[in-house]
Amino acid sequence: MFRNRKAFFRRFVLFLAILGPGIITGSVDNDAGGITTYSVAGAIYGYNLLWTLIPSFIVLVVIQEMNARMGIVTGKGLADLIRENAGVKVTFFIFIGLLVADIGNTTTEFAGVAGSMEVFGVSKYISVPIVGFLVWFLVVKGTYKIAERIFLLFSVSLLMYVVSALMGKPHWSEIGHSIVHPELKINTQSLAMIIGIIGTTIAPWMQFYMQSSVIEKGLKMKHYKYLLIDIFVGCVATVVVAFFIIVACASTLHESGILIKEAKDAALALKPLAGALASQVFAFGLFIASIFSATILPLATAFYVCEAFGFEAGIDKKWDEAKEFYVLYTGILVLAAAIILIPNAPLILISLWSQVINGMLLPVVLVCMILLVNNKKIMGKYINKPINNIIGWSAVVILIGLSMILLLLPWLSK
Amino acid sequence: MTTFTTFFLSRIIGRKVFDTHGKVVGIVKDLLVDPDSSNQSLGRLLVNGIKIKCKNQIVFYSFQYFHIEKIKGKIKVFCNQLVELSIDQVTSNLYLVDAVLDKQIVDLNGRKLVRVNDIRLVSLANGTFTVAVDIGVEGLLRRIGIVKPFKFILSLFGSKIPAKFILWEDIEAIDFSNLNIKLSKSYSKLQTLHPSDLADIIEDLGRKASAEVFSALDEEKAADVLEELETDAQVHILESLTIEKAADVLDKMPADEVADILDALEDDKAELLLNEMEKDTSQEVRELLDYPDNSVGSIMSTEVLSFNENKTIEEVLNELREKKPDTETLYNLFVTDENDLLIATFSLRDIVISSPEARISQIMKPSPIYLHDYQKIDEIAENISKYNMLAIPVVDSNEVLQGMVVIDDVIEDLINRRRMNK
Repeated sequence: MFRNRKAFFRRFVLFLAILGPGIITGSVDNDAGGITTYSVAGAIYGYNLLWTLIPSFIVLVVIQEMNARMGIVTGKGLADLIRENAGVKVTFFIFIGLLVADIGNTTTEFAGVAGSMEVFGVSKYISVPIVGFLVWFLVVKGTYKIAERIFLLFSVSLLMYVVSALMGKPHWSEIGHSIVHPELKINTQSLAMIIGIIGTTIAPWMQFYMQSSVIEKGLKMKHYKYLLIDIFVGCVATVVVAFFIIVACASTLHESGILIKEAKDAALALKPLAGALASQVFAFGLFIASIFSATILPLATAFYVCEAFGFEAGIDKKWDEAKEFYVLYTGILVLAAAIILIPNAPLILISLWSQVINGMLLPVVLVCMILLVNNKKIMGKYINKPINNIIGWSAVVILIGLSMILLLLPWLSK
Repeated sequence: MTTFTTFFLSRIIGRKVFDTHGKVVGIVKDLLVDPDSSNQSLGRLLVNGIKIKCKNQIVFYSFQYFHIEKIKGKIKVFCNQLVELSIDQVTSNLYLVDAVLDKQIVDLNGRKLVRVNDIRLVSLANGTFTVAVDIGVEGLLRRIGIVKPFKFILSLFGSKIPAKFILWEDIEAIDFSNLNIKLSKSYSKLQTLHPSDLADIIEDLGRKASAEVFSALDEEKAADVLEELETDAQVHILESLTIEKAADVLDKMPADEVADILDALEDDKAELLLNEMEKDTSQEVRELLDYPDNSVGSIMSTEVLSFNENKTIEEVLNELREKKPDTETLYNLFVTDENDLLIATFSLRDIVISSPEARISQIMKPSPIYLHDYQKIDEIAENISKYNMLAIPVVDSNEVLQGMVVIDDVIEDLINRRRMNK
């Protein structure tokens, strides 16, 4: 009995030690861009887009599992692998896309900071520069690991959206009905929304982040089982939070016919419908999520770009040793913060289109990943099982199909 | 030919090869170089094979009958005769595209990993050789095919794309994880690097490459490198080696370092290794492993030299010459009685400034500061800084000398703990 308990305890401790890559990735996933997309989707389409979360979830799990496996087997980052196997041109295309999308995403994070603080009555001209500087300082001064843990703790506050949603008294039977029989008109707007939801749930840069954190933790094949649990928990958390954000906005804003453009609008609009507390909870969650992602996103982006093109990178390097890395990192932050501070900047457009670029970049990254993970030279006996390939390739085909229709629809409907 | 032609690898990959009649033979896919040719040619490697794709078939030809010319700024590949390369050469040569281009290599001067964007070669009368690797932005732009417009735009502002080349003699290609064949490479240039630098490089490499590079090191070097690696990497390396080889490397390391590594391994694996190691070493390690994690005993070094107080300096010197101890061991010397009880300390300095006839009892410092093996680690730093010591002796509950804690170990421990808090 005692032995058993000890064994269980040991296993639990081991799980806690491994815990992280999947759950952190999952939390960063629900960033300001995500919250905005989900809120707008809920406000405009009610419960009718909830079903998209189911395929998103399946693809998310399958992709992250592939990343984890590649990280364990090769010990190399995804950027490294793409560069070494796909050559410079493909790498260049992917990383230019990633860079543009991530500058857009970081801008969205700062929009989230600005918006959420405005709910509490703080002007964006104060909140954005302060947060931007804090984030930069945190990373460059190397206290990043502490920050990551604090944020992880705070990201539990994302579960507040569940509370926020329940305060809006959602209609459960209607939700069930819409998931099975969604009522949806296919047009440019709804397609862009669907790609946006998928693009924000399965953001391309996360594949890179996931693989790196698996390597950084030094995980081995024997930890694989625990890692799977970690990934599963992370993905469930992501999708559950997304679900409740959509529900919160659908059951209040959509029913009252209020159209919103930003996550901030959602927070403000919730006030008369679900109470001041629900509104503040919503805003606080947005604030935390925005800072968390604003910290990780520019850092991760600078890191992968440098990794792919062979520049020195890493926060343990000095400025002179890794100039490209720091310039890139600082550049993304400054640019993103600056865009927000331009009066009347088209924030919604930036936010939406960076999600759409994500959605379009995703199949390219996915194709590279599936080819890599099926390469016997790289993966040895750990290549994909048929089921992984079927899900992976279907996702690619569907995403490319959706993107093509989205691009062609304006001409077809004329 | 009296002239020479320099060209970039990226400029000839994908080019058509023409025979003497001007007919297309195929398309260049890769160049093969002889990794052992560096001795005769200033560290450059001789290109002796070419991989060509013709009619959907991959063929390897000897490069001897190929030549490269620059005609009106364009690189052209010609061949006089097609002679297939022997299987032996196909498997033992280094593939430039497969194993070097886009891969990480070791920059021996910078002592770090860099990524290869392009390779510069030169065609001379006596053959074609690798000259340098391009790791700069220019190489990247050239590969993407936008270097000329870029150069033009920059020239308008009077600036240039900074070029970054490393000569071939200053690099070592190491990542062959994409190849099925296993090269019997010695990585001889890597042996010249400091173990700490080598450890950093190995940590940055992928799984396969790090294991391969490590197993190519000789045992002494391997032991030094293993000591410098982070725990994760140590575990990975040890798991990738055979038990015998791993035990051989561990035998060359100080017992306290071995104990630290084995602590991180799974119990069964550690037991296997201990059984395979030499008896005296493994005995010491086992004793160290018995100490609790945060006790002085768990980080102390057991390699200490102790002498009887009646010995002369002359005798001590003779003994030191015979044993050839490590630096750390040599600096801090101890005096014990016939029961191994610690009674005093003396240092290398004391020996150097004393006459050979003097006895230890005349120069030793009695009633030394010491630690108990079950004391907490936290108390070491305090003592070391308070008494300005480089090392502190460690005794057990009967005051019998067990080992010493060197300032290095303390610093390592402090840094690790600081990192944990980050």
